[in-house]
Amino acid sequence: MTRVRAYTGAGAAVLRRDFQTALSYRLQLIGTVFGSFVSLTIFYYVSRLVRVEPFESPDEYFAFVLVGLVIFAMLQALLGGAPVIVRQELVAGTFARVVLSPLGPVAGICAMLLFPFAIALVTGTVTLLFGVAAFGVDLDLPRALLGFPVAFLAALSFAPFGLLSACLVLIVKQSALGVGLLLAAISLVSGLYFPVDLLPGWIGWAADVQPFTPAVDLMRHLLVNAEMQSSPSVALLKLAAFGAAMLPLSLWLLAQTIGFTRRRGTIIEY
Amino acid sequence: MSARPSADAALVAGDQPRFDPDGRAPALIVEEVTKVLGKRAILDGVDLALPAGTTAWISGGNGAGKTTLMRLMAGLIVADRGTVSFDGLRVDTDRRAYQTKVGFLAAGDSGLYARLTVRQNLDFWAGLAFVPRSRRRATVARAVERFGLTDLASRRADRLSLGQRQRVRLALTFLHAPRLVLLDEPSASLDDDGVALLLSAVDEHAATGGTTVWCAPARQTEVRHNRAFVVRDGRLEPV
Repeated sequence: MTRVRAYTGAGAAVLRRDFQTALSYRLQLIGTVFGSFVSLTIFYYVSRLVRVEPFESPDEYFAFVLVGLVIFAMLQALLGGAPVIVRQELVAGTFARVVLSPLGPVAGICAMLLFPFAIALVTGTVTLLFGVAAFGVDLDLPRALLGFPVAFLAALSFAPFGLLSACLVLIVKQSALGVGLLLAAISLVSGLYFPVDLLPGWIGWAADVQPFTPAVDLMRHLLVNAEMQSSPSVALLKLAAFGAAMLPLSLWLLAQTIGFTRRRGTIIEY
Repeated sequence: MSARPSADAALVAGDQPRFDPDGRAPALIVEEVTKVLGKRAILDGVDLALPAGTTAWISGGNGAGKTTLMRLMAGLIVADRGTVSFDGLRVDTDRRAYQTKVGFLAAGDSGLYARLTVRQNLDFWAGLAFVPRSRRRATVARAVERFGLTDLASRRADRLSLGQRQRVRLALTFLHAPRLVLLDEPSASLDDDGVALLLSAVDEHAATGGTTVWCAPARQTEVRHNRAFVVRDGRLEPV
């Protein structure tokens, strides 16, 4: 068996396990989708109140925020998901099994991000279609399909933040507060719910130094034909550059963290 | 081919033979292993050499360092000093290859995915252990049969008794046909039938040349071990 095949098989086993676990809760998947419909409906009625300069109509703001919600689901899956999953594994005592498997802890933690990302992708797509069907959002379907490869690219640039959060859990065993604050900060500076132009100058720079703003910008352009802050190629380049620089760095840091906790003897503590 | 070193020549610190008195080359070698946790030296220069086919018993009082030694041999934690190797593979530098050869049962009753069935837990571990897809179904079926889990295979792990959970954990330990099996208090919660299945698995493992380390505070007479040690004051002493 080749190494690639062995790793792919092991990754698929992790994905299947997470799917089986989610199915065992029966209402979890339905609840996730229903929750996003409720959020969308709330924002639809909030958008009816919006009459501000950056948007010509309430519908334009609603389409803007719809894409923000879809991206936020991805952020939650990749950033918020990783530390929660690792902590659950530690508490259940199953992380030791991952550490002692030929797959290993680094690849194991990466594989644990697959299911949350897949769910975020499905939920995002269903939410988007719900927005189109229930609230008449104008979606250019052939172009919107390009959103999928962009979502994968975005995932590669978001995932490092999740891996770094997992490092935090392995060292300090808790990260809920830190990750919650990080998600809130990202929502603020990446234009999920309002244009980043509205940010005051002293914090405006934060919109340019992370991969979330170009991802949101690009997805909005593809899905609801919104105007971009920069050209699509620049946004793509930024996303790719963040992924290329941050992913190896975060994987290295994760490996170092695992080595550190194995030396300290705290790797399976929680 | 180089000549096998004599037992005398192979003596290392602590007067533990590097080579078995029978002249068999050791499969598992623990050399000068030291581990400090917090400010306390749990293990201090531990040596152990076990040839293939050996079943070794390690005892010691509560907190003596047995579990720490087992975790070090499994590769869960890393020694401050010294090395652990099996079949020429070092636990620290040959991680992947080493882990394909090792099966580890941790003390306690954790390590199962509560919402998965017994079969799903076994199938998941088979995937993680790089058991080829074509062999996975048969491997899981054999583990189910070997540990008397046929009637429980479709039951969720959180609906099992402690003894039943222990059988599943043992099935996971032996599933991928490891050559080195490390068992930390394996008979905990098992009924007589469960203990019999465990002993049979250990005997079968030894008969095929596998090495087993069985660790528990008190010696169980029914275990057919051919080496026995005690962890005392951070050292491993033959009994």
